[in-house]
Amino acid sequence: MNFPSSLQVGQLAPLKCPWALHCLSMFVAGNGAFLDSTGASYGFGLKKDRLNQMLVLPRLVMVDVAVIGAGQTKYGNHQLGLKGMWAEAAENAFASVDQDFDPRQVDEAFIGSVAFGGGQLGNTAALLTEHSGMEGVPVRRVENACASSGFALRDAWMAIKSGQADVVVAGGIEKMNDLSPERKRFWLGVSGDTEWERLAGLTFPGTYALMARRHFHEHRSTHDDLVHISVKNHMHGFENQQAHLQKQVSFEKAASGFMVADPLTLYDCCPTSDGASCVILAADHVVRQFTDDPVWLRSSGAGSDRLALHDRPSITQLVATQKASKSAYSAAGITATDVDLAEVHDCFTVAEMIATEDLGFAESGQGGMFARDGRGIRNEGSVCINPSGGLKSKGHPLGATGTGQAVEVFKQLRGSVESERQVRDAQIGITHNVGGSGATCAVHVFGRDRNE
Amino acid sequence: MSDSSQWKGYLISYSNDSLLLQSPYIHNDCTVYGPDSDSTTMAVAGIQYLQNQGHHITAIHLTESIDAKVIFMSTSVDSPQRNEELPTATVDWQVIEGEEATLVLSQSDAEHFEFDEPTGTEIMDDDLFNDMNAAWEHECSKQHVSQGAYVSQSQYLEGGTARLSLASQSFEGQIIWPPRQMDSSGNRLPREEGLLSDRATVESWTKLSAAGAPSEFSLRAPILGGIQTLLVKFDEGPRGVFLVCDDVDYSPTIGDQVEFGVRRIYAQEGLIRYGLKAIPSLN
Repeated sequence: MNFPSSLQVGQLAPLKCPWALHCLSMFVAGNGAFLDSTGASYGFGLKKDRLNQMLVLPRLVMVDVAVIGAGQTKYGNHQLGLKGMWAEAAENAFASVDQDFDPRQVDEAFIGSVAFGGGQLGNTAALLTEHSGMEGVPVRRVENACASSGFALRDAWMAIKSGQADVVVAGGIEKMNDLSPERKRFWLGVSGDTEWERLAGLTFPGTYALMARRHFHEHRSTHDDLVHISVKNHMHGFENQQAHLQKQVSFEKAASGFMVADPLTLYDCCPTSDGASCVILAADHVVRQFTDDPVWLRSSGAGSDRLALHDRPSITQLVATQKASKSAYSAAGITATDVDLAEVHDCFTVAEMIATEDLGFAESGQGGMFARDGRGIRNEGSVCINPSGGLKSKGHPLGATGTGQAVEVFKQLRGSVESERQVRDAQIGITHNVGGSGATCAVHVFGRDRNE
Repeated sequence: MSDSSQWKGYLISYSNDSLLLQSPYIHNDCTVYGPDSDSTTMAVAGIQYLQNQGHHITAIHLTESIDAKVIFMSTSVDSPQRNEELPTATVDWQVIEGEEATLVLSQSDAEHFEFDEPTGTEIMDDDLFNDMNAAWEHECSKQHVSQGAYVSQSQYLEGGTARLSLASQSFEGQIIWPPRQMDSSGNRLPREEGLLSDRATVESWTKLSAAGAPSEFSLRAPILGGIQTLLVKFDEGPRGVFLVCDDVDYSPTIGDQVEFGVRRIYAQEGLIRYGLKAIPSLN
């Protein structure tokens, strides 16, 4: 097969492929490398006539990806089941699109879920899309523990960047509060290295407690630093109508909570939440069909690390976060100082403390001081950390958390959250979604503007 | 005349190449096992003591209550109970089980033993004894099944030798434990050959409340007031996470030295899972 000389195999992304180019598509797909190392990709436009025209006069086109709609359920203890929760999140996402949105326009869907409790382990995604007007859409469940929908979002972004789809849904769901306490405790901690960590009595409170104590030892941080994070996130989530725990917590109360896993108390731990979230992405050449006010998904970065804590050289940093953020910042052409707000994965307060270091908001080992100085407080600090209240206050329905973070950033950048909790002049926001104790991580950069 | 002392949480008396092991706990004038111990864990400790004394033990006759697979994985000592094809002539040691929580390990032809009575017994709290026994009995029933995170019997056995004996891999000057499959170039790593030292340094620790403990421990964690886990670093470099022994009141500090013994971890579907426990080092 002859290619135009100015095009490189591996940078082509024949999408929604017209029959005449089927062989070309298969050839390129067979090489399996639509994206370059920075995550940037190149592709032709969508329509058959445009694609044919470009083959005559080839030129490279970078496909940008926008968020055109996003919605979620309230997080908490839901009476709704999986189908009902997902329908509500999808309905809210569809309704948030400025122009009429027809779910039959969706080309692909990626839905994150740990399938907690095992009630619908197989074909979760197909069941949900069937009940939300997306019947027949190619769909799959994405599972990366608590980072499931962060990776669903990344997959959706890649589907558009590769040119295979124009309109893609990324979402997540988890139903956790309908289990007996015993069954629930069996499922908590399924995402560690079961053979080794579970036999040592560890679930995630224990794993993060080990990290916290070591951070205290190496960097002279203290439990009071974690209390500051808890108080801040409860303050941020207090006005969030979607939050699981809408209540302020005093420093004294948070400092004297019931000990769950020494040194972590109840106020260091996120709640067990039910919930669903849904984000709709579109390729740049179709965005205007849906909205004049898109939020651009400027980049996606991801990384992984050894699953078991004891297999890592250091337990006071998450290498997966460092890799993911470095990749995402680089592809978006930003640094940490450009970020106005960050939805950070604070399943435990120590996770936020470490993340502020790994994401570049604080120097290594200075996450405690960052929290102590209030540098993550909305409209007071250098960057607003967890404007939604984070997992600590907004809640943590495992598989729904990553795209739930994207819902918050979408609304913050469009200025559509409750006025009391709007981050002023927000231009750039990120989401940071971690699986387990840091084995997987996805970081996404969102902006009012496209990449330059 | 025999030497009496403590070894991995048990009272021992060693005389004429024979070893008496006894649980230190007394309940209603009877010697009873501690919360994480049984005849299997005590037999492992006994064999390790004899090996430590320079005895080369290749095979041993075990009693019915002792898990022969655990003995083999922990100590590399085979037994007719595990290996039916083992030539009887090679089995030169035996375990004799007393009526209470007492074992004697001796050479097979030994007939007469004379030990000093071990010292250092302590009374076990009545509630603790009754509650722990009831909990283990419930856990060991076949109806006690997993509903989520699950270590199958085959997975448990696959990693058993590394878990119970600290068998490690050696590759390009590095000691690797727990065992890994491939290196970063995609090449298969060698099988475990050497053993890590029996001592390590505490790098971090936590105590999970009963409410935060995994469900496998849900019956015993409330009785014990939670479960304690250490992250330790071995002198050879690898790190690991270990439960602490259930019968020692220990407040760890980063930098502490610990050693290891075999303990009961939990039971499911009628099978007891064994692993190592960290024991605060006396030295």
